[in-house]
Amino acid sequence: MTDGMMAIAILLPVVAGFLILAIRNYFARGVVVVLTAIVLIANSILFAAKGPLTYTPPAGFDWGTLITVLDYAILVLYLVLGLKLRNRLVLIFAATQIIPIAYFEFVMKAHMDLRPAFVVDHLAIVMTLIISIIGSLICIYAIRYMRDHEQHAHVDKSRQSRFLFWLVLFLGAMNGLVFANNLFWLYFFWEVTTLCSFMLIAHDKTQIALENAARALWMNSTGGTAFILAIIYLYTTQGGASALSVQNIIGGGMHSAAMILPVALLCFTGCTKAAQMPFQSWLLGAMVAPTPVSALLHSSTMVKAGVYLVLRLAPAYAGTLVSTAIAIVGAFTFFGSSALAISQTTGKRVLAYSTIANLGLIIACAGINTPLSIAAAILLIIFHAISKGMLFLCAGTIEHQIWSREIEDMEGLAAKAPLVTLITAVGMLSMFLPPFGMVLGKWIALEAAYKVPLAAVFFVLASALTIVFWTKWLGRLLQVVPKLGWPLEKLSPSYSVPLWTLFIGIFVVGFGIGPIYNYFIASATSDVIAGNSMIGSGWANIVLTGSSAVQTGAAVLGSFPVWALYMVLGVALFLPMLFFGLKPTQLRQVYLCGEQTGGTDTDEWCAECDIKTKFILGGYYFQATLGEKALNPWLNTVAILLLAIMIACGVISK
Amino acid sequence: MNQLIIVIATIVLAPIAGGLLFGIDRRITARLQGRFGPPILQPFYDFFKLMGKESIAVSKMQFVWIYAYLVLMIASLLCLVLQSDFLVLVFLLGFAGVSLVLGGFSTKSPYSHFGANRELLQILAYEPVLLLLAIAIYAQNGTFLISMIVSNQQPLLLSLWPLFIAVLYVLTIKMRKSPFDISTSHHAHQEIVKGITTEYSGPFLALYELAEWYEIVLVLGVIVLFWANPLWIGLLIAFAAFLLELVVDNITARMTARWMVRLSWSVGLILGILNIAYLYIMKGVF
Repeated sequence: MTDGMMAIAILLPVVAGFLILAIRNYFARGVVVVLTAIVLIANSILFAAKGPLTYTPPAGFDWGTLITVLDYAILVLYLVLGLKLRNRLVLIFAATQIIPIAYFEFVMKAHMDLRPAFVVDHLAIVMTLIISIIGSLICIYAIRYMRDHEQHAHVDKSRQSRFLFWLVLFLGAMNGLVFANNLFWLYFFWEVTTLCSFMLIAHDKTQIALENAARALWMNSTGGTAFILAIIYLYTTQGGASALSVQNIIGGGMHSAAMILPVALLCFTGCTKAAQMPFQSWLLGAMVAPTPVSALLHSSTMVKAGVYLVLRLAPAYAGTLVSTAIAIVGAFTFFGSSALAISQTTGKRVLAYSTIANLGLIIACAGINTPLSIAAAILLIIFHAISKGMLFLCAGTIEHQIWSREIEDMEGLAAKAPLVTLITAVGMLSMFLPPFGMVLGKWIALEAAYKVPLAAVFFVLASALTIVFWTKWLGRLLQVVPKLGWPLEKLSPSYSVPLWTLFIGIFVVGFGIGPIYNYFIASATSDVIAGNSMIGSGWANIVLTGSSAVQTGAAVLGSFPVWALYMVLGVALFLPMLFFGLKPTQLRQVYLCGEQTGGTDTDEWCAECDIKTKFILGGYYFQATLGEKALNPWLNTVAILLLAIMIACGVISK
Repeated sequence: MNQLIIVIATIVLAPIAGGLLFGIDRRITARLQGRFGPPILQPFYDFFKLMGKESIAVSKMQFVWIYAYLVLMIASLLCLVLQSDFLVLVFLLGFAGVSLVLGGFSTKSPYSHFGANRELLQILAYEPVLLLLAIAIYAQNGTFLISMIVSNQQPLLLSLWPLFIAVLYVLTIKMRKSPFDISTSHHAHQEIVKGITTEYSGPFLALYELAEWYEIVLVLGVIVLFWANPLWIGLLIAFAAFLLELVVDNITARMTARWMVRLSWSVGLILGILNIAYLYIMKGVF
């Protein structure tokens, strides 16, 4: 049973991927993707039902050697890509990985046989649920999206199979990554996700796509280099293969002071993959790829691998200076990206900055390192995956309706595509307003942040900035001109099924926060932090009775009446939308100082010399003060300093 | 049952108090400007007059957002009187502000858009101060619960006076008084068209006025928290702050939105951060 479940989670996507690569027919390929998605989802639910387990592959086959060989294959491929793209940085950082590995293997003659090879605990189960369910929905969405994409671009030779191959393969690599206990295997899956993201970003093969893919590759390779150095350091100082067991590292079974530096290096690796400042540019560059790639990278895979690693290692650096440094690194990114998001005119870039900001918040929560903040981090991972996955799918659908990504072009979308607008608007509201999950997470994070006041101050500033950029965009989207009717647009099921599933998911997960907390997050938190006794009683009990209260020790920190807040939302927004309508006779034209032309177009007025002119409204972007050109030098300098301080803290602790 | 009575009493009494405060405001302001001024009950006369008018709008969503603004404002006030979490109060107040902004954006009207953009900057100016206040309250009391502020014998004002100064200008922003009456103003001499409320008329404008009444009670209520025990001192402080606003309103002119954000993000935040740093050092956390 366990054999089958592990094989389905990690190997099925590989097999299905090659099958998809071979199939040339649109419908047959779609059927394979949908079937794979269904099996993966069912399998992840089976994992949740079965609970924690450990697993080592049966002895008959030498998996360790296979993984080592594939590792070299990937790194050699990076070298080839570096030569082909004439990118020096890609070459350098491929070399900095391949040389230490070769040294490790052939000079040090390291043996990395480790039992158990995989540990599936509650945190891994939460992650695999996110990866399998949301990732699969995005794959289903991609079936139709890529056809529309290629039809619009008029490509000669269809490359949809290749695209779906990397997309599906990604899910397998992610599952392997969150299950792996052997750090060397984890490194292998880590590199596979880097490779997948490179291939997907480069998919359109335009000059800019190749450049941005190369940037993603070398930036993630710096993380890979830190990863391999951490492995060698652990192996030499702690003695032997047992030092490479993730469970041993966080279990505290080793000499702790010498462990801080490699753990700090691993956190650095996590920060590169989670696109924390100053590495944010690779994730922004990834926006050139077709939208399902963005949806996948931002919600359930890739960047979530980065925060997963930092979160997973939390007990290993608990109570050290490194922990505080990580909290401030994350909180600073949360603040900096939220400020940059205001100046963005492209919808997808706003989404990207918002992702980077929220990942910063999650990493900061890991750094604060109390049971409360870890619970907040896991909650944020779940809610962010659902909302952001949905928002990217919405952005893709909008793009295929108006063939533009610009926020200003989305003006009045409520009248053109009411269904997509509704879903997008709810997605945006769920990112920053109560009673939705993200605010719940942010609230717990703020209450947990008392331990690191500097992080709390960054949280406060970032929260205010977050309100501005979301509301600005929502305002453009929801602007309605009275004369327009409401024809509902038609969507292909490949679009609408993932969209509506995630839409319902937001409410189910948000509303069912109590039970979800009890079944998943409480136990996942205790997996991250051993001996967590404070959180169990206070939070969980009160969640069930209708509100959640945060409790540390004896004192109640605060409470959040979830059900009451949903009632407020219902009374405030949904009741009037459902039961209130204005008759056409009640609608008037807007005030234009009496200079309206009086025609059917309400935005037409008599300009000078009575020339009929349409007025255009635009949002504020503050590019002079908050633009990338103005802020990036400052933000990146501070971010580099903070990361250096984090590593330095690791060195000092030794 | 007891809580239900508090809820009903708040919903009924808060707008009466708010309307009276606006009546006093108009009277005092008129005297300061050398006019006689309307009767104290004038805001209520205006309200009922507006309610009786024909309901017309320029967009179908306008009603939804202005109604949401009112409901969320009431919910936020209920958080205060039921003495629940201060952070939840701030989040709900933020949602209320967002609703008002989206109401302004929901029409294609230049004046309404100006107002909405400026209202958004007002949120940017006051939101961090309120959140910093929440953190300072935690640093002082060890909890975010308002009930603990009320039961604590030690008044917040003594240790949180820098943040109190910052909250005073939040009061100015929320009361839409000069120099921060950026998104819409009470004074004709400041305003060409009515800013974010330009496109509201009749009963919809009445809903907006009603929400304003709840809002002033809420913001003054937050000021009361600075000396919540005994309550009458807090009420006196809040009323004094209210009178101070009226004087400030009449001796200053409207400034630009950019200036407001700069002032808030420099002076306000420095006051707040120093205040919190001081509290933490006193508690020996660092």
